[in-house]
Amino acid sequence: MTHLSSVSNGSDSTPARRIAGHWRTIIPTALLLGVAATQMVLVKVADLSPWKGGGFGMFATTDGTAFRYVRLFVDAPERSEELNITESLEFDAVRAQLFPSRRFLTRLGEAAGARERRHGREAATVRVEVWRVEFSDQPLRATGRRLRSLTIPIVRQPQAN
Amino acid sequence: MGVELILRLTAVELLLRPMGPWGVRPLILAAAGLALLSPRTLSSSLTWYALTGLVTARIVADWPLPDNHIYLLTYWCLALALSLGATDPVRTLATSARLLIGTAFLMAVIWKALLSPDYLDGRFFRVTWLTDPRFTDAVQLLGGMSAAQLTDNRENLAPLPEGAEPLNHVAPSDPPAFRYLVLMSTWGVLILEAMVAFAFLFPAGARAGPFHHLSLLLFCGVTYAIAPVAGFGWLLLTMGVALCRADQRALRAAYVVTWFLVLFYSEIPWANLMVSWLT
Repeated sequence: MTHLSSVSNGSDSTPARRIAGHWRTIIPTALLLGVAATQMVLVKVADLSPWKGGGFGMFATTDGTAFRYVRLFVDAPERSEELNITESLEFDAVRAQLFPSRRFLTRLGEAAGARERRHGREAATVRVEVWRVEFSDQPLRATGRRLRSLTIPIVRQPQAN
Repeated sequence: MGVELILRLTAVELLLRPMGPWGVRPLILAAAGLALLSPRTLSSSLTWYALTGLVTARIVADWPLPDNHIYLLTYWCLALALSLGATDPVRTLATSARLLIGTAFLMAVIWKALLSPDYLDGRFFRVTWLTDPRFTDAVQLLGGMSAAQLTDNRENLAPLPEGAEPLNHVAPSDPPAFRYLVLMSTWGVLILEAMVAFAFLFPAGARAGPFHHLSLLLFCGVTYAIAPVAGFGWLLLTMGVALCRADQRALRAAYVVTWFLVLFYSEIPWANLMVSWLT
């Protein structure tokens, strides 16, 4: 454990001290740059929202939380309908809409399917769709565009005796 | 005094905006609270390494939901921990603050000027001012738009399904004051951010001059009057304090005053009060 005990006069006399001082300042900034570069790649290849992920793309584009949304469709014998995003699904839904990876879409679809089963409703598959609202410039107009879609089979849990 | 003030401001920020899932939140609050109460804990690098770990855990647990300033807060906690172990903590911290501010602003400028398809043509601020309920008061006050006009515009901007065409499309109304607001915010924010990035990254070195302080104070004083991210403002201003030399008392005081100004911006609906007063 190190405690702040003194403040030096700022002279870095030896090369060893100079290097020691540098690595302590470089590490946080290198982390920032590494995370930001990763975020840029994820935005381009995996539809991560530019507002998120540590790349400092907030207040730069309309492609943020406010203009992305998720739609859920459940299918079963004698049933095909759209589901509401309930409070219990909200966290998984926001996560999937901001980063529509296969893992997050699957997690949301399985959570929605499990919820249907808990309420005694049949669910064979759940289709998760992530949409984005895009704005044209002249005239200013909004259009919904589907970013990603995944259908998740809902496995029936064995009944406990 | 300089480093102690920086550590205290960071701890206060952690307490003012509790964050993270229940497994992490109480630990962050306890560590920050203890740091404020005990000078030994406050100036221990171990405290700041622990807080770096906890804020990182928060980011991982909620990824990708955390805002960008939470990432910056992590880097800052790490910079504090590393600086406290250095032979010259004040100088090390000043250099870290300068690099972090400069790099964060550079990334923000890159997104706005190069990577975003809808920023430079004004679409981002046009849509944001019209649709984000957090800016309703500001748009009425600065954009010359009535509450009824705003409601109509929001309805006209309801999204259509892909490929659909409206039968009678009504474009949102654009009073001259609103067009001016869009233009000023688009270019004003970009120029201010570019100024900060340039000032903090060139030339390299730990010493900060008047241009650094002026650009950072101006950015925080203006931006956080409107932008609802006080946590980002406090963090930048705390880093600004780290850039002050020991003899720059007035400048340090200016950062602390602006820190409180950002707190008041976030807690007092000043734009709403002005709109009510004017109408």
